[in-house]
Amino acid sequence: MHIPDGFLSTPVWATLDVVSAPAVAWVARRAQRDTQDNRIPLLGVMGAFVFAAQMVNFPVGPGTSGHLVGGALLTVVLGPAAASLVLTAILVLQALIFQDGGVLALGANVFNMALAGVAAAYLSNRLWGQASRSGAIFAAGALSVITSACLALGQLMISGVPMAGGVLWASLGLFLISAIMEGAITVAAVRAIERLNPTWVAGPQPATSRTVAAVAMAALVLVVVGTLVASAAPDGIQRLTAQGVDSVGWRARTMAGLAGIAMIFALCYLGGKLKSRRRSA
Amino acid sequence: MHHLVIDRWSRGSSSLHQRDPRAKLAALLVFLVVLSTTRPSAQRAFVAYAVLLVLAANMARLPILGLAGRAALVLPFSATFALLTWWSGDSLRALALAEKSFLSGTAALLLVGTTPLTAWTAALESWRVPRMLILVIQFVYRYLFVIAEQVQRMRWAAQCRGPQQRGFRLAAGLVGVLFSRSWQRADGIYHAMLARGFRGRFVPAPPAPFRSSDALFFSTCLAGCLAIRMLL
Repeated sequence: MHIPDGFLSTPVWATLDVVSAPAVAWVARRAQRDTQDNRIPLLGVMGAFVFAAQMVNFPVGPGTSGHLVGGALLTVVLGPAAASLVLTAILVLQALIFQDGGVLALGANVFNMALAGVAAAYLSNRLWGQASRSGAIFAAGALSVITSACLALGQLMISGVPMAGGVLWASLGLFLISAIMEGAITVAAVRAIERLNPTWVAGPQPATSRTVAAVAMAALVLVVVGTLVASAAPDGIQRLTAQGVDSVGWRARTMAGLAGIAMIFALCYLGGKLKSRRRSA
Repeated sequence: MHHLVIDRWSRGSSSLHQRDPRAKLAALLVFLVVLSTTRPSAQRAFVAYAVLLVLAANMARLPILGLAGRAALVLPFSATFALLTWWSGDSLRALALAEKSFLSGTAALLLVGTTPLTAWTAALESWRVPRMLILVIQFVYRYLFVIAEQVQRMRWAAQCRGPQQRGFRLAAGLVGVLFSRSWQRADGIYHAMLARGFRGRFVPAPPAPFRSSDALFFSTCLAGCLAIRMLL
């Protein structure tokens, strides 16, 4: 679900652009660190592969068919950082050349699909990979789709795009169906790839820090559910739509929000520094 | 295939083609921000934005109908939401949603229709977008159509061999084979790059100087957008 320009309100797209830009820089540095030279063409060709694989129809029931979305497949094959980077590159090309998603909304689309979607896929594969490999890959596909879709829906609603109750439930139902389809297609595709050459798909890493993964997963679920709940609360929408861009309260609240994000970021950064120092000591 | 159209457009030689990609990218961002913050009630402003885009397309000697047709690709998505908004009783806002997404798409097309991919990615790189991301964008674009044609051929081959077969496992097998061929292609590309002296990074061409005509172009766009936003 690519959000075009003109749908998100200024605070929403601006915040998500500000959040996504450093995140992509971090992901790029990570991907550069743990890939060898020969992976640079690989990442590009894998991006083109996902574009092309989306053209293959998977028949589902009579008369309907779905197609691979690919975020989870890339995460399972390339690892989270490289998958995020490839998906970001795809989103940039889609926004500029294929008119699929907006340029200002790029931050939102990158956040939903390349960051949150990949995180959901990675965490499911990491959490449940030991218990059941197919189950974990299914969960990776399904959760990545539903995370991105729910976030996009929440952002649209926060921006004041009206969503009557019936429409909201209908779209949540559609998301659920496409999430199950993506899960099934990802499992089938990974199985087919493994039959050809098992070394292409890295097995799930040993779960050294399952608690961290579990906490991260909980945080992700909280963000998704929180976005939906916050946007579904009717007074929030009405207040945002009732107030023009020029009102004073809006600016103060945006600043408060940005300050909050900065504080959370600083806390996470410090925590990460402390943890890595303790590990190296 | 339609991709060739944009590639062909971007190799033109109009005065808009010759502007520095950084100036064009900055002008696009200004236009999009101004458009995004325009109130739905300012319908005259949307007409003025459209006129601005038509003028630019004229300057670039690009076909206006072709541009509009490609930009209309956003309309199925925005029309759905515009209809929802309409039903909830806010027809002005519904109209603005469709207009904003359509005009934004046209503006983005004007950038890529007058700037080759290597030029706008170089502009992004000069704005400190991570090089790794730029490289991946370039590679994806380079191999996009190669692999899309490959999948098309594979689908035809599968149809020829068993037109009534359209199973889930068959499609999965197709994706698996496509994956393995892509993987091998990437290996081949890497070895070809090594054979041509690749040492882990590309040496970018020195950027063209930012001329005063580029600055003039950007300030004209800025002034035009702001004037429309303030006055109408």
